[in-house]
Parts: sequence; structure tokens; C-alpha cells
Amino acid sequence: MSPGPELPLIALDHVSVHFEGLRALDDVSFDVSSGEIVGLIGPNGAGKTTAFNVACGFVKPSTGHVHYPTAKKSNLRPNQLVHAGVARTLQGVGLFPHCSVLENVMAGGHLRPSGGFFASFLSLPKEVRSERRLRDDARTMLERLNIADMADRLPSAIPYGIAKKVSVARALMSEPTLLMLDEPASGLDESELDDFARLIVELRATMGVLLVEHDMEFVMPLVNRLVVLNFGEVIASGSPSEVRENEAVIEAYLGVNE
Amino acid sequence: MKLLAARRVPSAIALALVVTIVVLATASSTRVGVALSVAIDLAIACAFIVSVPELKTRHPVVARALLTLLGLDVAIFLTFFFSSSTNFNLATGAAMSIVLLGLSFLTGASGQISLGNGAFMGVGAFTMAIWANHHATTPIVFSLLIAIASGALVGLLLGLPATRLRGPYLAGMTLAFAVAFTFILSSFSSWTGGDSGLQLPTAWIAPRWLDGFYHAGTSPLTTTTLYITDVAIVVAGVAFFFMANLFASRTGRSMRLIRDNDVAAELVGISLPRARVVAFIVSSAYAALGGALLTVIDNSVSPSTYSFALSVTILSLIVIGGIGTISGALIGGVVYAFSTSVISWITTHTGLNPQGNVASQLNGIIFGGLLILTMLFAPFGIAGAVRHFWHRMRSRPPG
Repeated sequence: MSPGPELPLIALDHVSVHFEGLRALDDVSFDVSSGEIVGLIGPNGAGKTTAFNVACGFVKPSTGHVHYPTAKKSNLRPNQLVHAGVARTLQGVGLFPHCSVLENVMAGGHLRPSGGFFASFLSLPKEVRSERRLRDDARTMLERLNIADMADRLPSAIPYGIAKKVSVARALMSEPTLLMLDEPASGLDESELDDFARLIVELRATMGVLLVEHDMEFVMPLVNRLVVLNFGEVIASGSPSEVRENEAVIEAYLGVNE
Repeated sequence: MKLLAARRVPSAIALALVVTIVVLATASSTRVGVALSVAIDLAIACAFIVSVPELKTRHPVVARALLTLLGLDVAIFLTFFFSSSTNFNLATGAAMSIVLLGLSFLTGASGQISLGNGAFMGVGAFTMAIWANHHATTPIVFSLLIAIASGALVGLLLGLPATRLRGPYLAGMTLAFAVAFTFILSSFSSWTGGDSGLQLPTAWIAPRWLDGFYHAGTSPLTTTTLYITDVAIVVAGVAFFFMANLFASRTGRSMRLIRDNDVAAELVGISLPRARVVAFIVSSAYAALGGALLTVIDNSVSPSTYSFALSVTILSLIVIGGIGTISGALIGGVVYAFSTSVISWITTHTGLNPQGNVASQLNGIIFGGLLILTMLFAPFGIAGAVRHFWHRMRSRPPG
């Protein structure tokens, strides 16, 4: 990275999304840079998930653009995200149910250089070696997250909290610069939440983190910045303490109308 | 000690195989050679099975190659004792198992369904026959490669639009191709020979350097059947080896990822259309190879063979064998190979008129019955049931 003002990893630039007359997002702009944790929050139906899906190409913006400035790319399709250094987890766990935990994590390294179809077909020594390296790295990743003993199990046979960690392990295998977490706290118990928060803070050292979440107790102490959506619009953004004081946010959450 | 064993066993097996081949190729009487190789085969089998756990994790490709060679060795050895008609059935089963491999990969690994693999077989079969009628001197391996290429090409052409279709719609499109195929054949009758099909100009006979192997003093017809059967078995072995590579590789894994969760698969960087086309091409190329081999075995090709019914038979065979597995294709091939013998056994032992109504439908009755039994008692096919049983046996505490 050259010195000077750092480019953001992802920037939504005046993005609007319309679903057949329904305005899901309206002129939404925000960005995430390396070394920060940004939380995307808002009441139910505020457009958090749509914003998240726009950010990773599952939903095309009706107007506006999604830029990935550090990767010098824009408006990517989901399968090109990894090329721009973006990895995301899915709501729930989003694992591959019939593949072992280890294979799930190996999947995250899919885009490593490979000899392609014929190298696979012929099992060229180079291909076999790179596959073995991928397997070793996936094991190391599981060890790093303290879940190495789950490697050979199927996702259905491990506790939910661990499955969530596996999905993070998979995302980390692509060595992302931006990690997008879709509701990381949902379904976790107290100690798992602490564990997860610690992991996210640790990851911030090497990447940016964007997360969608509605568990405020989890989000508030964790994030550097919040972007609050309501009815598809950004109604506030800033540090957790700033947002907490914001009238519009209080109104949106507490439903104070008068 | 264990490490030592792991290193010694592969070289011992390799040596044993070389010995077998040399013995078989040079023995003055084939039967003697065959008999000599029995002991060696058994030794190899034992040594291999003992060393498998170590071998499989350390050198997966070597393990696969040895397993293939062992299978080929045993199968070819057996063909010398079988009657001509059994060998013919075996060869047909080998050809069919190649087709089943392709479908197992397409449906089991990538989760797409195809009702058109019978037609893809036909593409290979007719390519083989047409090529042989125009270039009679082409070596068999080269002709088979041309058939594979033709299957891959047709697979690509059909696979491209198919990437936009899912589930029943994809099945519908492949069904349309399967139904249209016989009509396509009859509209190009100057090439395909119309309803009567094509006859190959000459039969493939064993090349001279294999004389020591095939001279056993039997009639030329028996020898040719034996040779063609062994060719079919070797081709199937090679096809199995490469498919096993594919299943274990990154390509195979990406197919399973798509089948399991296509959204998550995209997020790790897999292009769904591309992967789907690749699976389609592999499956149709394998089907074409199987079809081409069937042309070689029958020495002729008839359009009625490649009707829609064949596609259904293929699909039920792989369901019976075990979809998405390699051994399932082998099991399906064996079931197919011996269904004809079973039918003739039934007709002779029950006094059914072989030309009668029931006898002519026995094929469908047997496959249909097997299919129902499989779905009821082993939803993952025979291969799946065996694996389940095996895991239960191993996880049971001792005593």
C-alpha cells in the first residue's frame, strides 16, 4: 500500500434497488476500509440484507454502483468477489451439507492457482501436491480457530456455534481483505458470542470487516462505525456513541412517532 | 516397521504385475500362463488390501493406479475361463459402466439430471461406425478418441443452453434430445444407414504382438470375442482411473459444492455455468466412449438401440448401483452385463416362451423391480448400502 489516504475496500456509491415498484434501497452510500469493523444495522425490513446482497453482487443495483477501490474493480458478480479480496458468510451457516468440515474449509481456497480440468483429470503431480497443500492449510486454519477435532465430521454433526466458525474459516481461506459477515451473532450463546467477538477483533488487524447484525449488545462494543438503515435509506452513520444519541435512530428503533 | 511396509508393498505389487504380464505374454500355453498368474494375483490382492490405508493417504494416485491394475488383472484373467457369450455380456457391461460413470459424475457430483445419455452414447456409437466405414485402418484407440471428441462436442453444444435450466427443465431438454436423436439418425440416412444402421467393414482382431496371449488354439471367433472383451475391460479400467482422479480433485470437489449449496459455491469463486458445462461435457464424452465401445463389441450399430428407453435404463442402473459413486457405476455395469444371462436362465428354467410377451418384457421387469427395491431399502444404491454397512461394522466396539 502506498502512503497517503487509504482507499476503501468497498464503496457503495448512491445505490438504489427497486423490486417491481418496491423501493428496497434508496440512494445508499457507505464504505469500509481496512482495519475497521463496520456494522450495518436497522429495524426489520430496513434493507440490510438487500444492501449486503448488492455489496456482493447477488442483487444488481437499479441505479448507482458498487466499487471495490483497492482491487480497482466495480459491480462484480458473486463468483468474482474472491478476486477482489472479498469473502462473505451466509445467513445461518451456509455450509456444504454433504462435504466434511475439512472439505468445507478447503472450498474457501478454490481460487488458488490450479492446473485446471485436465490437471485434475490426469492427477498431475503438481495438482496432487497443491491439493495436499490446500488440505494442510485448511487443517491449519481449523487449528487456528480451535476446531481441528471437527475436521472429518459433517456439518450436520457439529454444534451450531462451531458450524459458524467453520463458515468463517472457509471465508478466511481465500485470504480476504474484506470479510462480510451476515448475522454472525444469531443463534450463538453467551460464551460463543464472546469467542466470536474476540475473533472478529483479531481479524481486524489484517482486513476490514462489514457485518449485518441486529443483536445490538453484540454490535455496539465491537464495531468502529455503524451505518443505520431504515426504509431503505441511510438515516445515520458514525461511531456507536454518536449513533446512540441520534434522534432519527432512536425514533426508528423505538417507534416514537409523535 | 509400519513405514517400511508402506514403502515396500507398492514396489512388491509393481514387481508382481510385471511378472504377471511377462508370464502371460510369453507362456507357451495361455492357460498355463493364466494359471501361473492366479497365485500372483492373489498375492497382489492381499498385499494391496493390507497396505491400502497407508497408501491411500500418502500416494492417492499410486493407490488408484494399483487398484485399477489389480482390477484389470483379475478381470482379464477371468475372461480366459468364461464362455464366449459370458465374455460378450461382460464386454457390454464394461461399455455400459463407462456410460454410468459419466452419469454418476453429472448427476451425483454436480446435481444435474440427464435423460439424454442414451443419445450421447448413440453419438459415440455412430461416430465410431461412420469413421470405421470411411477409414477402416484407423487403430482402435484412435477411433475411440474420435468418438470421445464427438461426444464432448455434442455435450458442449447441448450443455451451453442447459446451464440456464434447472431440475425438471434440464431433464426435459435432455429428454427432448433423447427423443429427437432417433429421428436425427433417420434423416441423415446416407450417413447413418437409416433404420438398418451400419455394419463395420472388418472386425478388430488382436494385433500380432499379442499372439502369445490369444493363440490358445480356439476358434477365431472365440479369440476375437476374448480380445474385444479384454479391450473393453482395459478401456473401462482407464476410464475408471481418470474418473476417480476427477472425483478426488478440485474439479470434483467444486461439483459437489455446487450440488450442495450453489450460493455458497459462487462465493468461493466457482462459476456455476462453467462448472455445469464441464460436468455435461464429461458425462457426454464418457457416454460416447461407452457407445463407441458397444459398436466395437457388436461390430455393428443400429438406431433402435439408442432409443429413449436406453436413457431410462442407464438412469435406473446408476440409481441401483449408487449415484455419485464410482463403485456404483461398476455395480450397474455388472448388473447390466448379467441381466441377459439371468433372463435366459429364467426362460429356460421356467419354460417361458423366449419369444413370448412376458419374456420380452423381463428386462424391464427386472430393472423396474430392482429399482423399486433399491429405492425402498438402499436409497443411495448398492454402493451406498455397502458403505453404510461397512461403517457400521467398523464403528462397532470390539467384543
